[in-house]
Amino acid sequence: MTLSKLSLRNARRQAKDYLVYFVTVVLAAALLYSFNGLVFSREVRQLSETMDMLSLVIVLASVVVVCIFGWLVSYATGFMLSRRSRELGTYILMGLTNRQVARLFFLENLAVGGAALTLGLMLGGLLYQILRAILFAMFSLPYHFSLTLSFPAAGLTLFYFTLIYLLALGKSRKHISKMKIRDLIYFDRQNEGVVIPAGKLRRRVFCLSILSGMAGTALLMTRQLITGVIGAGLLAALFGFFLSFASGVPSFFEKHPARKYQGQTLLVFRTLASKLATMGMVMAVISIIFTATLLIEGSGLVFNGIFRGRAAENACFDLYFGIEGEDPAPGSYLEYIKGNIPVGQSVLYQVYLCESPAVRDYVSSCTVYYYYNYDQDPVLRWSDYAALRSIAGYPAVEMEPGRYLIHCMTYLEEPLRDYSQPITLGDVTLTPGGVFTEHLSQSFGVGNGRGYILVVPDEAAAGLAVHHLAYAAKTLQPVSAQQYDALADITVMEYDNQVNPSGYAFVSTRANEAAQVAVQTALLVFPMFYLALALSMTAATILTIQQLSETDRYRRQFILLRKLGMARQEMEHALGRQFAIYYAMPAVPPVLIAAPFTFHMARIPEPGIMEGMSSPVVIVALSLALFFLIYAIYILLAYTGLKRNVLPE
Amino acid sequence: MLQVQNIEKYYGSKNNVTKALDRVSFDVEDGEFLAIMGASGSGKTTLLNCISTIDTISAGKILLDGVNIADLGEEELAKFRRERLGFVFQDFNLLDTLTVEENIGLALSLNHRDPKTVQDRVRNVAGKLGITDILPKFPYQISGGQKQRTACARAMVAGQSLLLADEPTGALDSKASKNLLKIMTVMNRDMEATILMVTHDAYSASYAKRVLFLKDGRVFNELLRGERGRPVFYHEILDVLAALGGDVSDVI
Repeated sequence: MTLSKLSLRNARRQAKDYLVYFVTVVLAAALLYSFNGLVFSREVRQLSETMDMLSLVIVLASVVVVCIFGWLVSYATGFMLSRRSRELGTYILMGLTNRQVARLFFLENLAVGGAALTLGLMLGGLLYQILRAILFAMFSLPYHFSLTLSFPAAGLTLFYFTLIYLLALGKSRKHISKMKIRDLIYFDRQNEGVVIPAGKLRRRVFCLSILSGMAGTALLMTRQLITGVIGAGLLAALFGFFLSFASGVPSFFEKHPARKYQGQTLLVFRTLASKLATMGMVMAVISIIFTATLLIEGSGLVFNGIFRGRAAENACFDLYFGIEGEDPAPGSYLEYIKGNIPVGQSVLYQVYLCESPAVRDYVSSCTVYYYYNYDQDPVLRWSDYAALRSIAGYPAVEMEPGRYLIHCMTYLEEPLRDYSQPITLGDVTLTPGGVFTEHLSQSFGVGNGRGYILVVPDEAAAGLAVHHLAYAAKTLQPVSAQQYDALADITVMEYDNQVNPSGYAFVSTRANEAAQVAVQTALLVFPMFYLALALSMTAATILTIQQLSETDRYRRQFILLRKLGMARQEMEHALGRQFAIYYAMPAVPPVLIAAPFTFHMARIPEPGIMEGMSSPVVIVALSLALFFLIYAIYILLAYTGLKRNVLPE
Repeated sequence: MLQVQNIEKYYGSKNNVTKALDRVSFDVEDGEFLAIMGASGSGKTTLLNCISTIDTISAGKILLDGVNIADLGEEELAKFRRERLGFVFQDFNLLDTLTVEENIGLALSLNHRDPKTVQDRVRNVAGKLGITDILPKFPYQISGGQKQRTACARAMVAGQSLLLADEPTGALDSKASKNLLKIMTVMNRDMEATILMVTHDAYSASYAKRVLFLKDGRVFNELLRGERGRPVFYHEILDVLAALGGDVSDVI
């Protein structure tokens, strides 16, 4: 049998034994290819001018992803080398040279990598179509399915893969070339080293790690120290935790022997402790990766929430502009609109100011509130409000005489519903008549108030000071990007020419807001999830490889336990518990660190935009769900594989 | 205590049947030390596996204290094994993640004994078998002889009534073997353990009170030690083995 035949046979066996790893490498290739597809796609770049940036952002993200997968392949290759060193040693014993064995190992890994790449490219083609469909949907463009191989994207993926594999294989090749037969044959018999010896030191490290973990997370929340220090504290916490845990378990049981012999505790914890003693360091790295994954997913969702939240508030009108000042001139805007944009319904109106900031003071006392340039409560005339509701497509509402309405963003609804004070405008006193919360362009300086606005009978508004002039319209067709640019240019031009010297103006269109969200999401949220996916896949794969590599030992253990009279149900129970704790351990610290941090992060943006699906609790829940979904797939794969081999029916 | 009645065991498919055990019958009395000898392939280990309920028999009956073990379900068999049987294997079969103390205590925790009493019971047995010093060590830190004594301790700590030993001295040097056999004798004599030992080593077998010889799945011969000294018994065993061997060479 030739060397290459042997390599091929070993490669097939490797793909079968390490199926989870192989699948991950295939997915890695698919992921890299699909994002490379975006880099080289002309139609994606034509979606918007700013989408040119996408190539750069994705290439940068890909560099990080290549590093992550590079680590995975390097780790897995090294791991397989140690598991198979006896076999490789036997080849040398039979007369092959070290170089030949190194080549054998190199060839078989190359074969596995090549197969994974080929499969990955095929899968990546589909994945790319999904990405494309999402992008097109975000830009509200019709999507047509077309499956073609992009040669530049495939080329770049091949380049990345070559990098990943050459690095990993170069390392193991050097390793094999230098090793002696004895070392190879006895490589797997090396005794496990204890990283932190017994005694006080370990206890201290354990306590210190827990404390620094808590302190780090707490400091992160109060933002009182620079991030670097906190990051370092957290790293120390995770490393300390995993390194001291392995040595801490036995000492706990030394003191509480009765606890040790209860049920399956002894088996479960001893197995875990021995695993941790050998892979404490890896466990800590995995935990850090999980923390990073959760934080990235959380930030991605927060950004997504910010983009969507801001846009939703502004995108309630097809076309809107506001110009600050007592008596600004909207002439050039209206002229352009009249000449270029067919309008169905429109209203030109003024936003007034009350004489007092009573409602603002009340709101500020109940919640976080930024009032920008509104020194008094903003007021809208009833007739303008009714027109705005109609233009935005909201159902008509009633207002009884002698009453005033409040229209606010959802986050102010609760306090304002409780507000029962009357307002006095000139000689008219009005009492509260209801609160409405639809989006109404209430998040900027020349919108319909800031967060809230009071709606009063037309006659009551007479004589009030004007805060700014505004215009809202329902157009027959969506306002195009060129039309939006032209209107925005007028703003800049008028500011330069001091046409409206007292203040600033702002234009927004529904179409532009949607495009902005699409671009921002594509540029920021896409790459973040790309990274998060690569990170969680890598870490989960390493955990699973480690777990499955113990299959033989578990099998021997359970055969013995069966002889000793352990019932099958108990064995299943013990295996399940062992498994659950093994997978929960690296995930618990990240959840404890990332969940409060993400929650805090989701509350940083200005109030009122992180609502509904973007509310902090939902974002934390979503980021955890997303992470555990991928994690669960790996756990399920590992568990079914292990159970089939260890406890056959 | 143990009655083996006409048991048979076949392996293989319809066209290629191997008869591993052929109408084997014998009794083991309470407190006996019985050795079963035979060359490789004579069916010793199969016999032991059948008695230990790990393997099933094709025909015949195995009664332990009057209970037919074929009548027991899977759960009951597991319970039976952990309460009544103790095992000592050639390759020790200790769990390498557990310390010596924990390996012995495992048998008790499998029996759901009160966790508080486990440590005391383990220490008690370990004291009798002379392994108190190594209790906190892991299997990879102790010698083969010590491992085997640990296995003996595990095999009797839960009060199991029958100790099954499969080539217990197979992986030990002669000094450690002698030591182990002495300890098994003590266990049998002073601690009233009933021992059934499978071996192909005449020296080991000479420590037993009775030796059964198996050949090609049948009981070929039986020797009783009676009041004779161990060295005399040893030579008698060798004589039987010579006869066994001679028989084989005659065929060839």
